[in-house]
Amino acid sequence: MYLSLENVTKIFPPRGGVSEVAAVQNVNLEIKKGELVTLLGPSGCGKTTTLRMIAGFEFPTSGKIILDGKGINSLPPHKREMSMVFQSYAIFPHLNVFENIAYGLVVQRIPKDQITKRVDKVLDLVHLEGYGDRAPTQLSGGQQQRVALARALVMEPKVLLMDEPLSNLDAKLREEMRTEIRRIQKEMNITSVYVTHDQIEAMTLSDRIVVMNQGLIEQIGTPVEMYRYPNNRFVANFIGRANFVSGIVQEQKEGKLTVKILDEVITLKNIKREFTVNEEVTLVVRPEMTRVKKKNEPFKGTIRRSVYLGDVIEYDVEVNGQLITGLESDPYIMELFAEGEQVKVGFAEGCIQVLPKEKIIT
Amino acid sequence: MQADASHQDSPARKPSGIIRRIREFTLLGRDPVLSISLLLSGIFIFVFVIFPLFRAVAGGFISKEGAWDVTYFARYFDDYYGPSLRKAFLDTMIMGLMTATAGTLVGFIFAYAVVRCRIPGKRIVHWLALVPTVSPPFALALSMILLFGRNGLISRKILGIEFVQGMNDVYGLDGLVIVQTITFFSVSYLILKAMLERLNPAIEEAAASLGAGRFHLFRTVTIPLLIPGIAGSFLLLFVESLADLGNPLFIAGNKTVLSSQIFLAVIGEYNFQKASALSFVLIIPTLVIFLVQRYYVNRRTYISVTGKPAGSQIIEKDPIIRWVVNTLAYLIIAFILLLYATIIYGSFSSAWGVDFTPTLKHWTMTLTRGVEAILDTTFLSALATPFAAILGMIIAWLVVRKKFTGKDALDFTSNLGGAVPGTILGIGFIMAFNKPPLALAIGIYALLALFFAQIVGKNAAERIIILVLGTAAGVLLTKIDPRMMYFCLGGMFILIAILIMISQRKYAKPLVAALIGLYVMSTNWANVISKPIADFSRSLERGFWSNAIVQFSDHLKVLIQPTPALLAIALIFAGVLLLQGVRIRGIRVGVGVLGLAVPCALSFLGIPFGMVGGAYIIMAAFIVRSLPASVRSGVAALQQIDPSIEEASNILGADAQYTFRKVTLPLILPALLAGLIFSFTRHMTSLSAIIFLVSAKWRIVTASILSEWEQGGVSIAAAYSTVIIIFVMIAIALLNLIVNKLFKGRGSVDMSQGF
Repeated sequence: MYLSLENVTKIFPPRGGVSEVAAVQNVNLEIKKGELVTLLGPSGCGKTTTLRMIAGFEFPTSGKIILDGKGINSLPPHKREMSMVFQSYAIFPHLNVFENIAYGLVVQRIPKDQITKRVDKVLDLVHLEGYGDRAPTQLSGGQQQRVALARALVMEPKVLLMDEPLSNLDAKLREEMRTEIRRIQKEMNITSVYVTHDQIEAMTLSDRIVVMNQGLIEQIGTPVEMYRYPNNRFVANFIGRANFVSGIVQEQKEGKLTVKILDEVITLKNIKREFTVNEEVTLVVRPEMTRVKKKNEPFKGTIRRSVYLGDVIEYDVEVNGQLITGLESDPYIMELFAEGEQVKVGFAEGCIQVLPKEKIIT
Repeated sequence: MQADASHQDSPARKPSGIIRRIREFTLLGRDPVLSISLLLSGIFIFVFVIFPLFRAVAGGFISKEGAWDVTYFARYFDDYYGPSLRKAFLDTMIMGLMTATAGTLVGFIFAYAVVRCRIPGKRIVHWLALVPTVSPPFALALSMILLFGRNGLISRKILGIEFVQGMNDVYGLDGLVIVQTITFFSVSYLILKAMLERLNPAIEEAAASLGAGRFHLFRTVTIPLLIPGIAGSFLLLFVESLADLGNPLFIAGNKTVLSSQIFLAVIGEYNFQKASALSFVLIIPTLVIFLVQRYYVNRRTYISVTGKPAGSQIIEKDPIIRWVVNTLAYLIIAFILLLYATIIYGSFSSAWGVDFTPTLKHWTMTLTRGVEAILDTTFLSALATPFAAILGMIIAWLVVRKKFTGKDALDFTSNLGGAVPGTILGIGFIMAFNKPPLALAIGIYALLALFFAQIVGKNAAERIIILVLGTAAGVLLTKIDPRMMYFCLGGMFILIAILIMISQRKYAKPLVAALIGLYVMSTNWANVISKPIADFSRSLERGFWSNAIVQFSDHLKVLIQPTPALLAIALIFAGVLLLQGVRIRGIRVGVGVLGLAVPCALSFLGIPFGMVGGAYIIMAAFIVRSLPASVRSGVAALQQIDPSIEEASNILGADAQYTFRKVTLPLILPALLAGLIFSFTRHMTSLSAIIFLVSAKWRIVTASILSEWEQGGVSIAAAYSTVIIIFVMIAIALLNLIVNKLFKGRGSVDMSQGF
């Protein structure tokens, strides 16, 4: 492993009426060389603190941070050979674009002609050719963002750290920049840690996603794993949307699971977990994995809310006392149901994650 | 500061809290820049703010014999002294309330005129409204008397009023309140101007759209929104008025107020217990208001008005209101200009009140006999200025950027020295540094020595050796003849230089160490250097140049003969920076012992911190007084710099020192320059804090003005005042010039931060 965190904990001491805060608790994380890992979670979940501990701006209260086989806990930021892109860009306001990007190279006393060469190269890379002598105030938000990225990339860092770098951009620019960042990261094969609270950003950028909540890691996995097989309610809710339906196991064999839910018995496919008979379980049902039809589906329901969104229709259907949210696409050939109408509801049997009940209560 | 704060808190906290604090303290050692700044500012504030203020306030309860004694408080309630004391107290409060009300009103008129009435010549009006803040404290009282006194230009010469016994004249509370209003209204103007600018026009537009009439809107929306500003300015002016010493001394006539009572108790009766007791009475309302202002009004201000100046401003539409406000502002401006013109005219007139023909004789006097005071004041003010500005920046940096226990205390106490009446601080300085307790020197030395050993030594054994041997050697050194001792101390630093050279083979650090050694030795040569200069000056004809050159030789001595205890503190810090990270063990311990012995010897030489009568105590008083302004301008500058900018530099490979040089310093330079000028201005014009500290050797212009005035030298007093005003104007013009040249288009200085 290239960069690993072993049992890293950060406790902020009480101060000014605020009691002790355990910002990060027992975090274990392994990152391969060239991989982009995203720390995803709501604000206050400890993702930024984790990033800042990797950068060296905060010292772990306990635990180890290991880079390339060496413990770097006591190494100050300027000796870690990492770079960081800040949420506020943190461009030096008194230096022009070229001087900003060259800053780290000047610190390293690299010869002038080489600096010029390397800076010009990254300016190309971020599509800012010819902007070298602009003052930061003469740049748009997107361009400032590119300067901040270029300044980090030019160092060819061991690890590139990004702290919500796109959160100050408007939606369109954000979309453009995240593909850009991914392209450059892959091109240069830079090990990267990316912090965001935006799940779409995490899904589009990452090799792997780490979902954090209240200082703890909830789950680590590729975007596909995170979406298809969430380990708990928090992850299921944070990445995408989900209905939680409780049920009782009837029978399990050859990856097929028969469960009784909402007073009906159905059989699910592709189940990897082992369950015992009569065990209480919870099904994670994504809205797009439900079918809302006139007939030929197992569950009887009543439409309680129906919203036409253009590309999809969103229904809240009451089934056996529980509200299930369902999405139906392609409305042109579909019939639209009105509120109060009786319908039949079915689930995509192959795409449902089943969790033991206790995972869901938390 | 650190140890102090945790000590105070300890009874209320659990043991784990104490342990955490100790751990926090040792962690600080890892970051020498942070720990040095913290110790430096903590020690300065403890020695020169907390300790003297404590002495000033506690002294009222302790008699000459050292027993508990509340005589001077009891006098407020007896029949003999009581009536006059209570009268003076009452008069003080009336003065404060009237000045605060009038000053806030005048400030509001100016703010309204500048922000909403498009007053013609807005910039000039703005600057003229700030002029009183940079003039010497009693200049306006002097000029009021010149104009309206019993022999005044207007009252006597133009209006021909004959003042008979018992007739109401300019002296007394009425004259005093007028003068104080003009002197202090600028503060109120700045506060209210900022508030008016930041009021969101949409709020008033909303009220208007809901059908509120103009007057109704003003009464129910505008004024309530301004309440925090009005309250804040009222309280500030009240405190300023109570603290004022110069104006009451000049113009209060037969009325006495607390500040002048304190002054008379010291100067007239030499009764420090009485002065202290009166200080206690004066400091209580001041402190209460300071706290209310800080923790209540300021908080309210943030809640009710947020954000930057709104883009558009509401303009007063009613021409009658506009013209009334503008005319009032112009009239007050005209009055201010008249007062200043009078001072200048006064310095040129033969005998004010009798013969107004112009003459240069007072200026000749001022520039020959007075050159001493002028040069001393300028020299000490200028020398103290960089220290004040840098200390202000350091404290601002700690307060804005760092997290540590006792941060609020540091913030609070750094402002305290400027907030309490200067008279009280002055008394505190005399009482604290006349015969300072040895415990003060021991405590400070112990704290610094522990810190030194912690950084220089690598393990417990080394640290103990350095501590014990260094201290022992230092104490032994104090036993030898001082002249010889300075040579020894200097020699030890040169030895350190050689040892570092051997172990590190670099030249920068040894060179610095050797220079320090030479500097320490040069204490002995001070006379050798300055004597020929003094002799030369005596050979000249008596006059401006001979006096000026004598002063120059004294100033040289100040530079090379600092108070030993202060030099010791500086040398410990220098030692920490020079000696950290020496690799070879034997040499490390050796230089550690030597490096500690020198400051130890200096710490306990003679009467440690016995500074009264010297130049350093005056500079310390200057710095304490100007610190709040430079901290404020530093805080304002740092708050505008995103902390990520420094972190960005750090993670790009730059260490703290490089980051500071290449990123932080260029960004805060305008504020630093502003801090320098504000400090210098404050130093030049301060009176109350240093009036007790001047000596035959060190004269200060403001004090000279007072004594000239008392001897009837009105015109000389006016000439001195003119000199100060000119010097301050030059300094401010210089600042503007530099800032405009250096920072064109990139950040500017908000002059109002300094007042």
